[in-house]
Amino acid sequence: MTDDLVRQAQAGDQSAFREIYRQHAGRVYALCLRLTGDDAAAEERTQDVFVRVWHKLRSFRGESAFGSWLHRLTVNVVLMERRTTGRRERRVAPAADPAVLERGGREPSVGLNIDLERAIAALPEGAREVFVLHDIEGYPHAEIARLTGIAEGTSKAQLFRARRLLREKLER
Amino acid sequence: MNERELLEAVGRLPKSIEPPRDLWPGIEARLGRRWRRWYWIPLGAAAAVVAVLVGRGGGGGGGGGREAWDVSQVAGRPMVGAAPLRGAGTLRVGEWVETDDSSRARIAVGRIGQVDVQPGTRIRLVEARPDAHRLALAHGTIAAQVDAPPRIFFVDTPAGTAIDLGCVYTLEMDSLGNGRLHVTLGYVEFRWGGRRAIVPMGALALTRPGVGPGTPYVEDAPAALRRALAAFDFEGRGEPALRAALAAARPDDALSLWHLLERVDPPVRGVVYDRLAGLVPPPAGVTRDAAIALQPAALDAYWRAIQRILFRKVILQGIRDIDPRTGRTVR
Repeated sequence: MTDDLVRQAQAGDQSAFREIYRQHAGRVYALCLRLTGDDAAAEERTQDVFVRVWHKLRSFRGESAFGSWLHRLTVNVVLMERRTTGRRERRVAPAADPAVLERGGREPSVGLNIDLERAIAALPEGAREVFVLHDIEGYPHAEIARLTGIAEGTSKAQLFRARRLLREKLER
Repeated sequence: MNERELLEAVGRLPKSIEPPRDLWPGIEARLGRRWRRWYWIPLGAAAAVVAVLVGRGGGGGGGGGREAWDVSQVAGRPMVGAAPLRGAGTLRVGEWVETDDSSRARIAVGRIGQVDVQPGTRIRLVEARPDAHRLALAHGTIAAQVDAPPRIFFVDTPAGTAIDLGCVYTLEMDSLGNGRLHVTLGYVEFRWGGRRAIVPMGALALTRPGVGPGTPYVEDAPAALRRALAAFDFEGRGEPALRAALAAARPDDALSLWHLLERVDPPVRGVVYDRLAGLVPPPAGVTRDAAIALQPAALDAYWRAIQRILFRKVILQGIRDIDPRTGRTVR
């Protein structure tokens, strides 16, 4: 079904592209939300991703599943945005501040998933990206290193740090 | 928590989280039009031809914009007209779909959505035009899912009409014409005569024949508020019920209080406004006098603020804590 929609969208059919958006927005938004740790930034990145998809769609040859292609493009968009913004003021200063995690945040209300999502969002930026890409999305360290521009060893260290912070946070 | 437990918890995280608002308009505005232009010219011409044919009474079974819709059997033996439905069939304008206690059916609403017909339901196709998709629910329960511009899908009931504003909802009607609308995505306007309720996702409204829709309320509204609203809307309890509703309302219940502004007599409207403003501060530009005078600009601005808060609260439930007074994330 997605294949048909992709072909129609490649031919310029915006209604087909809207259906693609409808089918994949949740997956893209979840990835953006976890990578950025901020819902407003996630909304912006999600829109950026679909605009990028529209312009690059004709280069999609079907060599991989559309979902995989979209996933990869989403990661690239989010990471590229972070690189280009550099150190400009972040929307969520606390998420980039490890001290927030060390001193604890709000008390969890219900469910481990909620606590875990909050704890992930509160991770320092670099640790969060590596954790999301490795432990949630299944990327190997070598690829994370290539995508994020860090050394493979740094990726492993960030993952170790992220897991430790999360365990500490969730045990409180 | 050890590392294995952490990774197991990570494995249970949802892969998909719906965005807190519809991002499509912003995306669409940024899409280039170079392909679109040539694409829409022949499509527009084709649409004009179809419109002419439909206007001449052309029709047939199947898809959207024609004088009939597809209907399919989901369980048991639903009836279409006088005939049992086996597999798939066609529902023509004027025909009824009827399910017994053990049967269910699915109606394709042209090409814009679908309606699941639950057991014990009787529903009729009234209109099947591109600009007007209309069903009439006599009794029973339907679950509607529509992806279309607002106000082209309607469900008439004995106690008013549900007007789709782009949404997913469930509508129940008992044999006396008492109804309950529950919206799980988007918005539905429920209207009877001059009375209306705008029900956003995460909210419900009751409706009664001869009265129309009651004041909508959010899913987790306090029982005291629900009782007071029912007494005010359907039992004629007047000001005592109104004051009980105001006392029971929380910031999360701003939806109900906003509707009450239009429903109360002018002398007590100020009391409703003051309570609403105390729970959810009015947005910039909205004055007490303008709201009490029911000036559309003031009511619309207040509504947009309230529905934004409610939208964020519902869509980010379990992910972020939302301040019900402002809609901002609580950190």
